[in-house]
Amino acid sequence: MRATVKGRVAVFHPQGFLDGNNAPSFLTIDDIRATESLNIDMLLVSLKKVIFFNKNGLDVFIRMLINMRNQKHIAVGLCDYDSAKFKTIQIFYGSNLNFSLFRTEKIAELFVATNKSDPKTILLYNEDPSQRSAMAIELFDYGHNPIIVQSKKEFEEKKQNPDLYYAIVEDTYLGLFGQKVATRVTGNAIIYTIGNFLDAEIGNTFNIAYHNNSLNVGFRLFIFDAYKVVSMNVHALNFFTKLASSAAEYNATICFVGLTFDKTPITFKNDLEDAGMLFFDQMEDILKNKELLQELGGSSATASKKTRSLTKGLINELPGFIDATVSTLVMMTNAKAAKESMNIQTLEVKDSQNQYASSIGFYGDLDGMIILIFPKTVAKKACELLIGEETENEEAILDSLAEFVNIIGGRAKTILGEKKNRVDITLPRTYSDVNSLLEMAQNKKGVQVDLSFEGSHFTFFLTR
Amino acid sequence: MVTKDEIVHYIQNIPPAPSIVKQTLDFTRAGDLTKAAKCAEEDPALKLYLKTLVNRPVYGFRNEVTDLPQIFGILGVSTAQQILYNYLMSVLVPKKWDLFELDHHAFYDLQASLSNKWTKILSHLGLLNHDNESAITLLPASIIVCDALFGTHKHEVEQLKSVKSLDYNTILFRLCQLSLFDICNEIAKKWELPETVSRVVHASSGNDHNLNPTENVLAQWMHLLLFFELSQSTYVSAGLNEFIEFKIDFVQDIYESFMQVVEYDACNG
Repeated sequence: MRATVKGRVAVFHPQGFLDGNNAPSFLTIDDIRATESLNIDMLLVSLKKVIFFNKNGLDVFIRMLINMRNQKHIAVGLCDYDSAKFKTIQIFYGSNLNFSLFRTEKIAELFVATNKSDPKTILLYNEDPSQRSAMAIELFDYGHNPIIVQSKKEFEEKKQNPDLYYAIVEDTYLGLFGQKVATRVTGNAIIYTIGNFLDAEIGNTFNIAYHNNSLNVGFRLFIFDAYKVVSMNVHALNFFTKLASSAAEYNATICFVGLTFDKTPITFKNDLEDAGMLFFDQMEDILKNKELLQELGGSSATASKKTRSLTKGLINELPGFIDATVSTLVMMTNAKAAKESMNIQTLEVKDSQNQYASSIGFYGDLDGMIILIFPKTVAKKACELLIGEETENEEAILDSLAEFVNIIGGRAKTILGEKKNRVDITLPRTYSDVNSLLEMAQNKKGVQVDLSFEGSHFTFFLTR
Repeated sequence: MVTKDEIVHYIQNIPPAPSIVKQTLDFTRAGDLTKAAKCAEEDPALKLYLKTLVNRPVYGFRNEVTDLPQIFGILGVSTAQQILYNYLMSVLVPKKWDLFELDHHAFYDLQASLSNKWTKILSHLGLLNHDNESAITLLPASIIVCDALFGTHKHEVEQLKSVKSLDYNTILFRLCQLSLFDICNEIAKKWELPETVSRVVHASSGNDHNLNPTENVLAQWMHLLLFFELSQSTYVSAGLNEFIEFKIDFVQDIYESFMQVVEYDACNG
């Protein structure tokens, strides 16, 4: 059984009965290897469609999850259960419960970094005050607004108005969490929350793949929320210096906010400033100063001043990328798509209204970005298989569009892999307003391919 | 991916029930097992199938049974009818499974195990009759159909499933507005199976409404039985656990009784 990946969360979905006899059959060596190769922050096992489980059955999955956490420093746990199953799991593992429990997949997704910048309001209650605080801190660090309720009675009252909250967090448990540096997106800036004493371990807990993804898809301002940092050593200093060098290549800015130098040598500040890091006392100093935000690159996902030209290697792979796009569209719709024209140019979109766009980057032996722009009707048609019903819900369509683009990214990765080019793909990004994509891609030269699909046109654009 | 044209082509190519099997079934339904055995003797493939199947461990006979009248006598009317339908199904079984990692033995064991447990369930429900007993034989047709339609699209399905947890039945329905169970109904029509059989098997997908209370109960038990079997190691390894969506809510209220009827020990494994 293979895990399904959404954003940076991978989930196994076993069905039926789960015991010590059959559980090993769900996870072959190939399945485990495939899971190890995923670029994820969280790995879960869903119990939504498991009607019976015993401890021996769960243990098989838990062992795999713990191994994965030890190797990759990711959060692991179980999700999608009811209150009865939650109690059973707690009884099975008691004080040895060292993995997380999320009542739903939707709740789990709140505890990982995404490309989205919309903070969610979340009602939160847990009988254990330390769990309550840990969840609140994590949710806050990931950019959400947790409403923490102190008593069961108050929680039951507030639960009566579910429409006020994006999610209601109960029957949830954080086990060995906070292994990764928490990440949130505010506008077009990415904020990382760091704390305590920073040493060489920052290299493991900081999600460098996510950071590279963000650079590749156009983010240019990165802020370290360092209010909770007590001190750092030379290994952490080296890490941040290297990060600054790689950011410079993309013309990106990295800032520290709230870092004090009572216990950190002041020479470190000088070294970091020399590497291009900026220091601010308060987060508001940046986020509420529009001029400064624009100057730092956080007002829009604008491309770097240096435009990166297409390489011969990338152009050589163009037929493969187009084939990946067309064949995915054919697979999802059983309708034909055909190439109409192809030019090297900057991105040109006629009638940017009534269109959705999405992008996915890849980096490694080759780097670049695929941009797709669809009329809304085509986007809906392309996603029907994933959504399952006709919908006008823009969020659902854009989420499915991200899944659709992820399949294309996966195919492109396979095509490149067959030619011994190892690449990783970024998280897909979707745009309900094509103008914000055009702003990011305005100076980028690339190959624009116009394609037709059932009488409509859509655009494929490959750039760096 | 799978198209409506491919489905139409598949349905057109389902072979009709062979005349000897039809006659044997008619004698069996009429309760004349001696004539049924005599008729079955004329088809060497059917004879071999019956001998091989009856002597598999799942039937629990200590000594090898080779004589057809003896086989029919041991089986009785209902089980003989079930086995004849299972034989019809074997006509559809692919020489080589493309989508699922199954072999003939694993598939026949699945048929036999489903049939045995289904008989126990019907006894428990007080709904034991020839048609109800035969219903279970059509269920594995959905697996055969799934393998036939998706076998050449395995890689595409894997890519789709990498981003969304979708079962084959849902994928097929969203693409072609036809489910695997709709195609099973077409098989049932071609083989002139009773309509009640195809209605119950169709409803066992857990997606049907407007069922009468008895059909609903049979569909619930069949759905849970299918997932009980598809949770066995052999079938999990074969990839059958992801074949259709398990509807927990549909079977929740029969779960406790089911565990008793199939004598499942919760401490197992």
